[in-house]
Amino acid sequence: MTVTESRRPLIGVTGSSGYLGRTLVAHLRAADLEVVEYRRGVDDEMNPGVARSFDLARPPDADTFQGVTCLVHAAWDLHETDPLRAWERNVEGSKQVIAAAVAAGIERVIFVSSMSAYFGTRQDYGLMKLAVERTVLEMDHVVVRPGLVYGDNPGGMAQTLSKLAGLPVIPIFRGAHLFTLHVDDFVAAVTTLVEAESVPSSVIGLAHDTPTPFREIMLAMASSAGNSKKTLTIPWHVVLGLLRVLERLNVPLPVRSDSLLGLVRSAAIVPGRDVAEYLALSFREFTL
Amino acid sequence: MKVIIVGAGPAAAGVALALTSTSNATIQVLDVGGRLEEANDQARARMSKASPEDWAAADLRAVSQTAIVSEHHRIPEKRNFGSDFSFGNFGQLDGLSSEGGVNSRVISGAYGGFSNTWGAQLMVFSDATFDGWPFPRSELEPDYRAILATIPYSGEVDDLAEYFPLWGPADPLPSLSEGPERILRGYERHRLQVRRQGVLLGKARLAFKGRDCVSCGLCMTGCPYSVIYSASQTFDDLVRRRRIDYTGGYLALRLGEEDGRPFVAARSLASGEVEIFRADKVFVACGALGTTRLVAQSLGLWSRRIHMKESAQFLMPMLALRGIKDLSQDGTFTLNQFNIVMPFDESGHDIVQIHGYPFNAAMDEALPSPLTIPVFRGLGTMLLRRLTVGLGYLPSWWSPGFDVSVERPDSDSRLASIALSPSTGDGSQTRRKLRAVTRRLVMVAPSLGVLPVLSQISLSAPAKSYHFGGSFPHSRTPKEGEETDLVGRLYPWRNIHLADASVFPTVPATTFTLSIMANAHRIARSVAKDDRD
Repeated sequence: MTVTESRRPLIGVTGSSGYLGRTLVAHLRAADLEVVEYRRGVDDEMNPGVARSFDLARPPDADTFQGVTCLVHAAWDLHETDPLRAWERNVEGSKQVIAAAVAAGIERVIFVSSMSAYFGTRQDYGLMKLAVERTVLEMDHVVVRPGLVYGDNPGGMAQTLSKLAGLPVIPIFRGAHLFTLHVDDFVAAVTTLVEAESVPSSVIGLAHDTPTPFREIMLAMASSAGNSKKTLTIPWHVVLGLLRVLERLNVPLPVRSDSLLGLVRSAAIVPGRDVAEYLALSFREFTL
Repeated sequence: MKVIIVGAGPAAAGVALALTSTSNATIQVLDVGGRLEEANDQARARMSKASPEDWAAADLRAVSQTAIVSEHHRIPEKRNFGSDFSFGNFGQLDGLSSEGGVNSRVISGAYGGFSNTWGAQLMVFSDATFDGWPFPRSELEPDYRAILATIPYSGEVDDLAEYFPLWGPADPLPSLSEGPERILRGYERHRLQVRRQGVLLGKARLAFKGRDCVSCGLCMTGCPYSVIYSASQTFDDLVRRRRIDYTGGYLALRLGEEDGRPFVAARSLASGEVEIFRADKVFVACGALGTTRLVAQSLGLWSRRIHMKESAQFLMPMLALRGIKDLSQDGTFTLNQFNIVMPFDESGHDIVQIHGYPFNAAMDEALPSPLTIPVFRGLGTMLLRRLTVGLGYLPSWWSPGFDVSVERPDSDSRLASIALSPSTGDGSQTRRKLRAVTRRLVMVAPSLGVLPVLSQISLSAPAKSYHFGGSFPHSRTPKEGEETDLVGRLYPWRNIHLADASVFPTVPATTFTLSIMANAHRIARSVAKDDRD
């Protein structure tokens, strides 16, 4: 995908109320790029060059992406727990967004997927991200798979892990390891992808090459917060089964069974290293 | 530019469509031109002018003979308007022999070729299929689009679009039969469970006018209303518009070039005389095997074992837990209605497909004979109410394929002998992959509400899939006499272009007629462009 220079670049970012989207928008604007945010709760008074109303559950209007040259699609509804509705909203919704973006003539779409989306994943979240990835690739656009995004005041899974690391005894799952990504490397990488003259349609893993053991991540988080370093290794199968039973009983939980599956059955490699090297993307080793 | 196209099947139609839309070439189509028998054609014509309730019973009987089970092949051979003219010998099968159960009815002499009787399924090859080709899918995309904009096309965007995009507007499909509808509903309800096992489902994409379909159920024996595409429709149209000169009744025997100017030596089926036809360019589109023999005969490739890559076919009967109410093919279309797709890698290169067919009359006739005697008839009916037939395909790189050997004829006015034989491999990979496919299907059976009948799963005989080619594959650096360049030229020819599946580097498990047409279109478009330049 090549971005031509005929128009002044206008970067659209969906999901700008989420952790990654919000951080990315701030960084892109700091880099003096023109950015339009797509999120819910934008009123008509707002400058459409800055923010536009957007809901993954509704098909985009014909003029939703007017003027946008590059779209970073990061929106994803993590609140929906029913698999059918989650599929409808996230997968079908994202496919509509991407089709509308392409139809509107957007030259480059960057879909923010996840390292959970790898061939053979058993995780619902990964399967859904993978389905959207296929659509993006079929349309010749770009997919990025961030690893576990950490940094100051993290969101998403890192935030959840950080809370777990604050417990008096930290749960550890033997054999679990994760590819990690510092949030600054994430925004730098996406900025490069936005600005690069040409990016091949491909899946690019955004993470350090070497996975970090889950235990090491949890201890670092605990240490960073000045918490106890007492750990307890627990069999993940048991926890998974327990979480599934509690979910069936509609008990509100801090971690979902599907998320646990993502922790213990993670990707084996970071894809797209050749493209990352070609674009000089770099990812630091995990450290807090 | 004067052009000769040899053949009138889908590849020839692809060439003709490209040349008539991008050049002012004078086009002559040389073809065997076998036709449906007159009585059957008249019955078909009368039915096409009436609505199904007004059809004469005798006409309906004449055109609706179902498929015929042969001794060696479990999958029956289809009949078209009560005739076997698509498979019949008009001279093009002379000298063809096979051993080891290899299907021998593999070169069509019919006007329109095997597209008279095909499954009418249209899917582009996955992007990753082209990893083994000397050009990417993007080079073929304009040709896919051009073909899809020209021929009838019905389908819908669903999960299959993740690997097989719909390019261009399509008619919606008519309502599906009860069985396939239930299976697809099961998939929607349990999508993530099914996908977790590496299985996707979606509706069929078909070369037929969905809007014009009257759901008379005769698809499998020939649509009286010509709603299903055949390459003959393209040629009828081009003849009517005087864009081509169609010369039927000729069997091509030899190709060659004299001072760079190509010629075709063809025997008149009426007089037996061999005539020479000359042009500036010749496109060879006799079907992969017909072309392979013609090339071997022309270049003297005697006794060489030429390997044909085939996407092996397998039969996968499935029984539903709940039977359908109405055991009839009336009120529906009986072509493939849904597809089961199994990707075996992330890129979409290693994909297996199973095409699901609803009940049709041929299934009734294919019941084991004990189930047709009155006392067990009830059991037979119960099974039929639950039966969905899956016809599956493995990619050529997991399939054994078969070999071809061509021997010198005793006279220049005869076709060379051609012998088909099984490949020498032990087939263990094919069986292993088929087991992997079956395992996945068993895993998703509770979600889809159908269970594969394990004892009845079987691989078809070599060449029975009709999805074969690759005898002279495209290459950027073609080996002399073995591979063709990107416009289908085999050394030493410069103006003779092979344009059918004989030039495919691989044969994936995706339905391939559309890709044959698109690639033929690409070749002809490139040649026409070079001529203009």
